[in-house]
Amino acid sequence: MASYLEILDDDQGHELSLFCVPKHYEEDLDSVIIPNGLIKDRTERLARDIVRDMGGHHIVALCVLKGGYKFFADLMDYIKALNQNSDKSVPLTVDFIRLKSYSNDQSTNCVKVIGGDELSALAGKDIVETGRTMETLLSLLNECNPKMVKVASLLVKRTPRSSGYRPDYIGFEVPDKFLVGYALDYNEYFRDLSHICILSDRAKEKYKV
Amino acid sequence: MTDRLVGCVQKEEGLVIPDDWPGYNLELFNYPEHYRGDIESVLIPHGVIMNRIECLARDILEEIGHHTLMVLCVLKGGYKFCSDLVDSIKSQSRSTNRQLTTRVEFIRLKSYLNDRSTEDLHIIGPEDLSIFKGKAIVDTGKTMKALLQHVKMFQPKAVKVAGLLVKRIPKGSETLPDYVGFVIPNRFVVGYALDYNEYFRDLNHICVISETGKQKYKV
Repeated sequence: MASYLEILDDDQGHELSLFCVPKHYEEDLDSVIIPNGLIKDRTERLARDIVRDMGGHHIVALCVLKGGYKFFADLMDYIKALNQNSDKSVPLTVDFIRLKSYSNDQSTNCVKVIGGDELSALAGKDIVETGRTMETLLSLLNECNPKMVKVASLLVKRTPRSSGYRPDYIGFEVPDKFLVGYALDYNEYFRDLSHICILSDRAKEKYKV
Repeated sequence: MTDRLVGCVQKEEGLVIPDDWPGYNLELFNYPEHYRGDIESVLIPHGVIMNRIECLARDILEEIGHHTLMVLCVLKGGYKFCSDLVDSIKSQSRSTNRQLTTRVEFIRLKSYLNDRSTEDLHIIGPEDLSIFKGKAIVDTGKTMKALLQHVKMFQPKAVKVAGLLVKRIPKGSETLPDYVGFVIPNRFVVGYALDYNEYFRDLNHICVISETGKQKYKV
């Protein structure tokens, strides 16, 4: 059972003024729910757990673009640091695929997979909400007969719409609110925000497609 | 003489951590193996400290970023806060084309034994002090008051205090720092250069020490 840092449903988050937030988003956010530093610390621990479990096998890290890119980059940095500083190290190669399944803030049912060559081992996804996208991806990956596939997800949402799927490594379990920042977008906006924040209702209208 | 600006903007008092918050489970984070069992929980992860420091640095630059900045670091507990704060000030000022000279001096205060604040205050360090200082924790505030009086004797243009942590205690001081990182419950915390009899300074996160830890490292 993967351990995770739980963010409670009634967590209001922190005041925006306590953190450095880009000026162009100041009116669009309600609060900071996961500061960038906390994300980094948790990711550092996930990297340690992953390297320990991979048992010396060659890792292919698969990044699910676009939302997964920051988590992926930071996770890889920590894995590389561990590789550099210990007596045992594991070769690491990377690949990228793109899934599109959101429009505005609703998860749609179609999942399109674009890109990627030889797929095996580790998949890094930013958020697991219903789990359906992940399950689709996993069945695709399994067709390539990898030795082992693990999924690391920064965030898992507590939602009744979940399929019950749980990734192997979880950063945080979050409430069913629409979150932006740290490469999570709302119609392509907010990827340039380093903290994970709660989007205001006003902003949902402002940036609507 | 120091001039106090009247009618300045009411600053937020820092990130408030409530009394009933238990902290995060240590096993969700990376920490040095040799402290396994000695820590109750993680109160403030290292990354959040860094984010908050970035914000303090920004506020400091806005308010006094046009003077020469003289930073007084209160050793030993203040060394990490001072170092990270100055780094953040310098890096932010580099990107705004500002001409800001920063200098650092160090003094040493000793007023804790085990986890109790004692009445004696020893100040060891340079004779000639001016402007700014960084202290790790403002507990009773008595230490800070005594230090401020000492500094003011040298007639700096302005003196500001940046405190990473302020504790909520019943007989708390009226002297709050000008820049506050976090307001925390009245528990003994270690890590990020804060020690318990010299231990835990090598821990990245700010944590609550466990009973096992207190006994193990007791003087």
